[in-house]
Amino acid sequence: MAALESQEMVTITVNDVDLQVPKGELIVESVKRLGLEIPIFCYHPRMKPVGMCRMCLVEVGFKQQDGTVRKMPKPQAGCTLPADNNMVIYTDSEMVHRDRKGVLEFLLINHPLDCPICDRGGECPLQNNTLFYGPSTSRFTEVKRHALKAFPLSKYVTLDLERCIQCGRCVRFTEEISGDSQLAFRFRGASMQPSTFQMHEFESKFSGNVIEICPVGALTSSRYRFRARPWDLATRPAICTNCSNGCNIWFDYRAGKMVRINGRTNEAVNEEWTCDRGKFGHDWYNSERRLKQPMLRKGDKMVPVSWAEAYEAILQACPPSAGKMGGLVAGTVSNEGLYLFQKMLREVFGSNHVDYRWTRNRLSSSHPLSVGANPSNKLTPIAAYELFDSALIFATALADEQPMIYLRLRKGWSSKGTKVVVFADRPVEEKGFAALTVHYRPGSEDHVAEGLLKAGLAAGKVMVPGEVREKIEALSFDRIASFCDVTEGQFRQAVDLLSGTGVVVSSQSLLDLPEGVKTLEILADFSNGLGFDFNCYALGANDEGAARLGVLPDRLPNGRPLAEPGLDTAGILDAAARARISALWVVEGDPISRYHEKGDVVLALENVDFLIYQGTLANETANYASVILPMEAPAEQEGTYTNVEGRVQRMIQVVQEPGDAKQAWRIFGEILLRSGHSKPYFSASEVMEEIAQVVPSFGEVTYDRLEGEGLHLPLATSTDVLSEVN
Amino acid sequence: MAEYKLLFEHSHDPNFRTLAGYQGTGGFEALKKALGMERQAIIDEIKASGLRGRGGAGFPTWIKWNGIPKEKTAPHHYILCNADEGEPGTFKDKQLLETTPFLLIEGMTIAGFATKADVGYVYIRGEFIDAAKALRSAIDEAYAAGLLGKNILGSGFDFDLHIHLGAGSYECGEESALMSSLMGERGMPRLKFPHAPLPTIAGLFDFPTVINNVETYCCAPFILNKGGNWYATLGASTKNSRGTKIFSVSGHVNKPGNFEVEFGTPLRDLLEMAGGVKGGKLKACVPGGSSVPIITAADVDKAIIGYEEMAEVKSMVGSGASMFLNEHTCIVSFIWRTAMFYAMESCGKCTPCREGTKWMLQIMERIVQGNGQKGDMDLLLDITKQLDGRSFCGLGDAAAWPVAAALRVFPEEFEYYIEHGKSMVQTAESKNLMPVEHQLALR
Repeated sequence: MAALESQEMVTITVNDVDLQVPKGELIVESVKRLGLEIPIFCYHPRMKPVGMCRMCLVEVGFKQQDGTVRKMPKPQAGCTLPADNNMVIYTDSEMVHRDRKGVLEFLLINHPLDCPICDRGGECPLQNNTLFYGPSTSRFTEVKRHALKAFPLSKYVTLDLERCIQCGRCVRFTEEISGDSQLAFRFRGASMQPSTFQMHEFESKFSGNVIEICPVGALTSSRYRFRARPWDLATRPAICTNCSNGCNIWFDYRAGKMVRINGRTNEAVNEEWTCDRGKFGHDWYNSERRLKQPMLRKGDKMVPVSWAEAYEAILQACPPSAGKMGGLVAGTVSNEGLYLFQKMLREVFGSNHVDYRWTRNRLSSSHPLSVGANPSNKLTPIAAYELFDSALIFATALADEQPMIYLRLRKGWSSKGTKVVVFADRPVEEKGFAALTVHYRPGSEDHVAEGLLKAGLAAGKVMVPGEVREKIEALSFDRIASFCDVTEGQFRQAVDLLSGTGVVVSSQSLLDLPEGVKTLEILADFSNGLGFDFNCYALGANDEGAARLGVLPDRLPNGRPLAEPGLDTAGILDAAARARISALWVVEGDPISRYHEKGDVVLALENVDFLIYQGTLANETANYASVILPMEAPAEQEGTYTNVEGRVQRMIQVVQEPGDAKQAWRIFGEILLRSGHSKPYFSASEVMEEIAQVVPSFGEVTYDRLEGEGLHLPLATSTDVLSEVN
Repeated sequence: MAEYKLLFEHSHDPNFRTLAGYQGTGGFEALKKALGMERQAIIDEIKASGLRGRGGAGFPTWIKWNGIPKEKTAPHHYILCNADEGEPGTFKDKQLLETTPFLLIEGMTIAGFATKADVGYVYIRGEFIDAAKALRSAIDEAYAAGLLGKNILGSGFDFDLHIHLGAGSYECGEESALMSSLMGERGMPRLKFPHAPLPTIAGLFDFPTVINNVETYCCAPFILNKGGNWYATLGASTKNSRGTKIFSVSGHVNKPGNFEVEFGTPLRDLLEMAGGVKGGKLKACVPGGSSVPIITAADVDKAIIGYEEMAEVKSMVGSGASMFLNEHTCIVSFIWRTAMFYAMESCGKCTPCREGTKWMLQIMERIVQGNGQKGDMDLLLDITKQLDGRSFCGLGDAAAWPVAAALRVFPEEFEYYIEHGKSMVQTAESKNLMPVEHQLALR
């Protein structure tokens, strides 16, 4: 976070080499341009520099008119020193080396040096810096400081205070990045220690990051403690599939088992952070409940069978092309799997009854607000949230549902002063930095949206078509307030704050409300009327992909709407319950726990003749299955995922699948092949080649082009296709 | 040379603590004069006086005042008074606040007018309840008389003055830590120039701020009244120190207290003012507060009071707290107690100070308990080198200097203590000199 005031370049000299750098760039960053390193502990590029640890001391001088260099009497901290003209830096002088030795000696005198049993041992900045710059022995003969050991700050973070070097990175993270200010220093001098207030629980949605940025083993992961040494771990890049943000992660594994998750840098998505759901939410990879073997119901019992037997059973029980099969899929399946799933249902079983949406209400795919469908539904890139003047967060717990958007929005607020207006029915994290937080009566979202639109019209800030205007103006603020407990003043204040460039953020969870569709439409009118970007974000890891790939009853992958649409989620469940369809193929997830009407699901599962459950974990739904097909978890497969902003990112196979589990696309591909509908697919990239040909917005995607930050899809092109079709 | 009572001229007069009494001796004349002057002319007057910061560093006052933007674009300019007098041995600000509160109010208001400031804060050390009360009643009187608040003396100049009591941290006397503390943050120092803008550009709440010591502000009315050139005649014999300086004399002297002297006065004269050494011959002196280097009796005879002059005996004027030590003082124990102070008061922000002060204390403690080891002196000296100039703020330097100086000036005492496990000055008096709790700690 080097505060670059201008792009004016200045000349500095580093170890006798002249260098052009932007004025104000921190010296610790400037020297990297020469491939040099200044050792650091407290400095972190994404947080304000503080100069606490003094590890980065360098000699500094200024070139005088006559060409001589006047050195400053004291060494200076490179992490806080902004570059200026004629600055001369020495990173390699005798004094600098002596100072580094001195600082490291100080840091180590009270450090327990329990590296052999420390989680950080092997990947520890304190170890590394000591090795490169530190003294070989200690002159300390006094008693070391004793402090809290293995204190559980929360169920995720365990604190070992003796190892702490008081660099303040964790404290600053909670103050500057996550904004929950959970950690602070208490006591002073040699007794100073990071702590939560009165040692209560460390409650944060992003607490896992402090473990990664801790330069010693003071903050350790409660889950990972003592489970491995870093050099025993192998690691590969992966994508987190626990929400729709698609954070880049390092997937550390040992002997084929997931051990821990760390953040991986992707400036476009998660910078380098993870949320706790992502960092600690992958334990199920090692679950006892993982499905490992295809199973077939024979009588009352589930019997392990081979894949060939399972396929035979499916094709026998479900007559091809009869249109009697329903397909329900969760958004955690890869693009390739989703594409082949709908292809299989349509071509093999002749059915358009396929859906990925689990909300109470579903928008038709031609509806302007359906996910990934329409150009008017612009998807604002995650990184753009740093730049807005104002933002309206409507009925979404952003820190839970879109954690990376939450962090970006907060960054925008702290760096640019984004005015954030929040409408929520429960306490939300944004309250800490929002310019206005309004709590409405739960369930009254549609009235709140009406109130906003009315206030916008009254202020003359919002332009909407005539008929909408009339309808809204017929309402009175008093009547709106009687529904939602939000006063006219609050609406007007919110509208006042929303100006300049802006964004309205809501989520698909709104559709779980009875009046969800109406709410969304009013909100979209309000947003478009203000000239803001409107986002109604998807929640599943690949919901955005599923919509674009046509995993929908009323639209094909090429964007063409179906004249006679199939059944959507509710329709499929209803048809299954009434035995109008004879088979149901459920892919991943547990509809019983997921769907808002549990009874509907149970009724459907009980009454359908043939239930195929394909998933990673055994669950309640699997108990009803006629056939169970074990599927590979996301990081066990090759594939791609489309995140909330429409960015396609590649997942490579990190660990081996358990038992006989197969990748989703392979299962569907094999059914297609067995029923003679398709050539064999040999790899996921072949599936992607087909997708690129069929699906317009995926036209650019090839695996080669997904390196680095992934590929941001062009905005959905359904209208282009529609106009072609018409 | 004798005492020169300028700031303290009326300090023993109880009437001086009331507005009427203060105005009776010409109080607030300087402010009236200042309000009729060009702002730059006031700063030029201060420049001509050669006034330097009395808090310890001796930074020219006019540069601070002159650094405030001439055009006021920020919503506030602040005037801060550092009355967090915590340096061991110093008690001059306490007496100034208690006996001459109006002098401070007038000085700060003049500074406020010269820098277009609208708010002033006096950050008073938390223990100074009496001083805060005295200033409180003085401020109330000044408000009532229209000398503070809106439209002061009909000039259109607004200036509010607030009191803030510290919570007991020595570090908060460091100017940037003081600002952090005043802003409600942890009392830790902030980045300084060239790492961050000067406080005159971005100080308290990131607005232009002047911060000076109590004594510095108290000088301003005299400079305005009698002229900068007149003030500059005081202490003219020194190289670059002008005016008077209040010294808090303590230790083994017969008459401890505050003494105001002209710069250029020999340190020896200061000792005489305080009634000379008691209980034996003079052994050493810490002339400017516990953090400045200790000097021997021979150097006391040579030392002249002045910022540059004091450097000739390798010490400093500092905040003006002269502690004179007689021959029965054990320098090792004295330094142990000093090290204890800095280890307790280190804020913990930077590594060298946080770890170095504690380590030094641990070593000193071991030595005074009779467990000194060969090499301890070299180790201590090394630690002071790793600390001096490497810490985030001046507290680290201040912790290193007394130890380094004592090792340099009185090495034989350390050698003896380490070798024999007891002090070189083992007399009945030396034992009595030590506070009871320290004697207990040594058992």
